[in-house]
Amino acid sequence: MRLVIARCTVDYSGRLDAHLPEAVRLIMVKADGTLAIHSDGNASKPLNWMVSPNVLETSDDRWVVSNKKGERLTITLHEIIQDVTHNLGDDPGLVKDGVEDHLQALLADKPWILEEGLTLIRREFPTDIGPVDLLCADANGVTVAVEVKRRGDIDGVEQLARYIERLDNDSRLAPVRGILTAQSIAPQAIVLAEARGIEAVEIDYDGLKEAEDTELRLFSIR
Amino acid sequence: MRIRAQRDDLADVLVRANRAVGTRTALPVLQGLLCEVAGSILRVTGTDLDMTVTTSAEVDVLEEGRVVIPGRLLTEAVRKMPAGQVTIGVKDNDVEIEGNGPRFTVRPLTIDDFPVLDDVVVDGVEVDGEALAEAVGQVTIAASSDGARPILTGVLFESSEAGLRMVATDSYRLAKKDLAGVGLEGTGLVPARGLRELPRTIGSSKVTAQLGDREAVFSSDKGMLRLRLIDGSFPKYQSLLPDTYPNQVILEKEALLDALGRVALVAEDHIPVRLKLTDGGVEVTVSRQDVGGETEHLEGEFSGTDEEVTIAFNPRYLQEGVTVISGDSIRIRVIDGFKPSVLDDGGEGDYIYLLMPVRV
Repeated sequence: MRLVIARCTVDYSGRLDAHLPEAVRLIMVKADGTLAIHSDGNASKPLNWMVSPNVLETSDDRWVVSNKKGERLTITLHEIIQDVTHNLGDDPGLVKDGVEDHLQALLADKPWILEEGLTLIRREFPTDIGPVDLLCADANGVTVAVEVKRRGDIDGVEQLARYIERLDNDSRLAPVRGILTAQSIAPQAIVLAEARGIEAVEIDYDGLKEAEDTELRLFSIR
Repeated sequence: MRIRAQRDDLADVLVRANRAVGTRTALPVLQGLLCEVAGSILRVTGTDLDMTVTTSAEVDVLEEGRVVIPGRLLTEAVRKMPAGQVTIGVKDNDVEIEGNGPRFTVRPLTIDDFPVLDDVVVDGVEVDGEALAEAVGQVTIAASSDGARPILTGVLFESSEAGLRMVATDSYRLAKKDLAGVGLEGTGLVPARGLRELPRTIGSSKVTAQLGDREAVFSSDKGMLRLRLIDGSFPKYQSLLPDTYPNQVILEKEALLDALGRVALVAEDHIPVRLKLTDGGVEVTVSRQDVGGETEHLEGEFSGTDEEVTIAFNPRYLQEGVTVISGDSIRIRVIDGFKPSVLDDGGEGDYIYLLMPVRV
């Protein structure tokens, strides 16, 4: 990543012509070749940019970025104030908090949050129309299919109903009932779930993370 | 730099040093092996900054020098050469690797970027290499791999009355090993990941070990392994070890391992295996609603204050503990289904494996 703070003027030609008058700006050149010109405002959006693939030709007072589409960005450098290059290394990617996978993992660890006595049989239990998020057994040994969503809607109810129908064909598991769980569930989905004999359970994600860990440990790790 | 040596000798020093080279690292130069040639010795260093392995070999030196070469490519190129002599040398800013026909040309990495490692004065205590390797295998199984809790990814080294004590725990189990007669001074938390590399990188019949303020250093005639110590306080493990156990059973190790192997056919990590300790031995049971179950009886000597006691364990944790206990017998000492049990060889051994049960 190369960051240049410079007093510069910028001229773009391509789909249209644009000109940025002389001012101090941040020029960002990423390792993949993408170049962006930022002012000290405009939120996250650059004033001008050229994504890769492109060709960057630099001289002391002039940078020219061009691509195969015929676009051309010319930066005239009047004064370079800072010029820093740093290798940022591998990017681990964006880790989202609260997405379905994480909810599913948390509930797999603590299925009894959904219903007292519920125990996990298997995560991602395969059926011929796709995997059920969690297959559990309730306190009476009845099989429970659990579909985990971030937001519960009618599609989620229909999806779980289809899984239950497939699982009910397996004599080792039948009868199977269902629980649709999400951080929030639409009123229409709750009505439909009741009509399908499916329980709808809203869960408090933050509370779930904080829920008391009932696994036996040698010592507390909190 | 230019050297010549037998392919297998070169491959040996490169492969072992390359075990410290990270595949995903922020600094590109850390994907390289530093090759230094002086006198008649080739010295190879790989590091990911937490673990550093240095190996060396006597070679034909055609020209002294230093160069950093991409580790994986260098190692694999040498390994895949035809048998016989291999030459590695710098020519026109590239590194040439030649051997009986094939010739690789490899771009070196920037040597000035390679981290400067502090010099080490080897001044530790000598340890039986095989005993140390066995201890490492016995203890590191209980260390956590969860990077969010770095303290639990380490092995505590501390001096004890017997000698050197090594302890690791992931909070579900704890392994404690005493190496008698090893007077290693100091205390430190040594990364288990790096320790596991000890037998594969510098394992030998004699190993010298030393603990500094910042790193543990192990050296042998095969090279040197340096591990950066983990900062933090290890859990106070002594209080976790029960004083008395009202029940115990002694089983034949191979029979128990065979049974756990059968259990594993049905169980997954979260499916517990139940042990019912009673007169005549143990009933082993596993049950999984969507698959089925397995049950069997293992002959053993049971003694205890209870007529019978049932306890459930994570089957993998149980199997790993039983596997590393030396001897033909396994003693399982049990308080009840909610308190830690202790596994050992039944004697006054130097190793115990403390295992928390699973709530069922």
